[in-house]
Amino acid sequence: MILAVIMMLVSCTPESCLEETDANIKAPFYLNTAKAVKAPDSLTVYGLNTGQLKIYNSAKNVTRAELPLDPVRKRCDFVLKINGTPDTITMFYDSYPHLISIECGYTYYFTIDSVIYSRNLVDTVMIRNPFVTTANEENIRIYY
Amino acid sequence: MLSVSRTAGGQSGSPDTLDFPLNIRAGAEVIGPVIYFIDRNNLSAEGFISADLNERYGLYAGGGYSDYRYSQYNYEYRSKGLFFKAGVDINILPPEKSMGRYWAGVGLRYGISTFNSEVPSFDFENYWGSLSPSISSSDYFAHYLEASPGFKAEMFRHFTMGWSVNIRRLIYSGAGKDLRPIYFPGFGSGSGKMSFGISYYFAANIQWKKIKVIVKQEAPPEEDETANQ
Repeated sequence: MILAVIMMLVSCTPESCLEETDANIKAPFYLNTAKAVKAPDSLTVYGLNTGQLKIYNSAKNVTRAELPLDPVRKRCDFVLKINGTPDTITMFYDSYPHLISIECGYTYYFTIDSVIYSRNLVDTVMIRNPFVTTANEENIRIYY
Repeated sequence: MLSVSRTAGGQSGSPDTLDFPLNIRAGAEVIGPVIYFIDRNNLSAEGFISADLNERYGLYAGGGYSDYRYSQYNYEYRSKGLFFKAGVDINILPPEKSMGRYWAGVGLRYGISTFNSEVPSFDFENYWGSLSPSISSSDYFAHYLEASPGFKAEMFRHFTMGWSVNIRRLIYSGAGKDLRPIYFPGFGSGSGKMSFGISYYFAANIQWKKIKVIVKQEAPPEEDETANQ
């Protein structure tokens, strides 16, 4: 019996990771005139100087963009093409490691310091919650 | 080792006394080292001393060393440190059954865990690329409570064996919410506020005192008067 208990203790294997592991900026789109959530007819997003590897590529029905941040740097520049009109959004932030769970391991969380942006089609970018985690929470709001 | 003597004037229903030996025990937990021989990633060595104060209560002090390593597909983890715990043992066996040789009850302990932990590497990947950073070693100081119901018996002269189930409650992790340790020496897995374990131990014991304990005699069965008629 003792040996069985020992084998059971030793052979315990971790369970599968079922939690969200990506801490991305959650950025819903608001129509400036109606002040209501509205997906752009077309959305293209990519990081500046990334060879135009797309995060979104002419995507439709995206009411909330998820923007990944680079933990190695303290700023990220994104190009947003909303309905074909390009704007740039620059995020300034700090990053820190976070244990999600024993099963999932570690990721990076971020704290947004500030945002600067162009205003071709974008009207306002508002920081709603600067703490970027794996939680399903709105971080910035993009009015266009 | 055991003697029962009837007190002067001892009659049916009056208390008797029992010479009850009080022991000091010094021992070691054995499951931890056995696990280490099977899984070289996890060493936990624990020893203790305990002393009977009377037929019901005893004092307990223990401590140990833990070297814990864990790795899975996306990270490695290591913690290493010491733990100490102290408390009381409460024997629920009546003295005439315990006789200083058998013990069944619960141990209540307060534990501290002082250790360092580090993450030698973890994998991170997103749109901007892949990383394998590390999190450098940090020192922690955690507190926990433990309840250990169990049983022990003097198998041979001066040699006791026993086991206990350990139910632990972490009361202070010593860490922030971001880099909570995965493993606390003495407490166990840091996945929650509670942890559970089993201990099996060997101990040497020696009598340090003998006390007289009052033993209640069971009342004899009442005679059936109708039977004598």
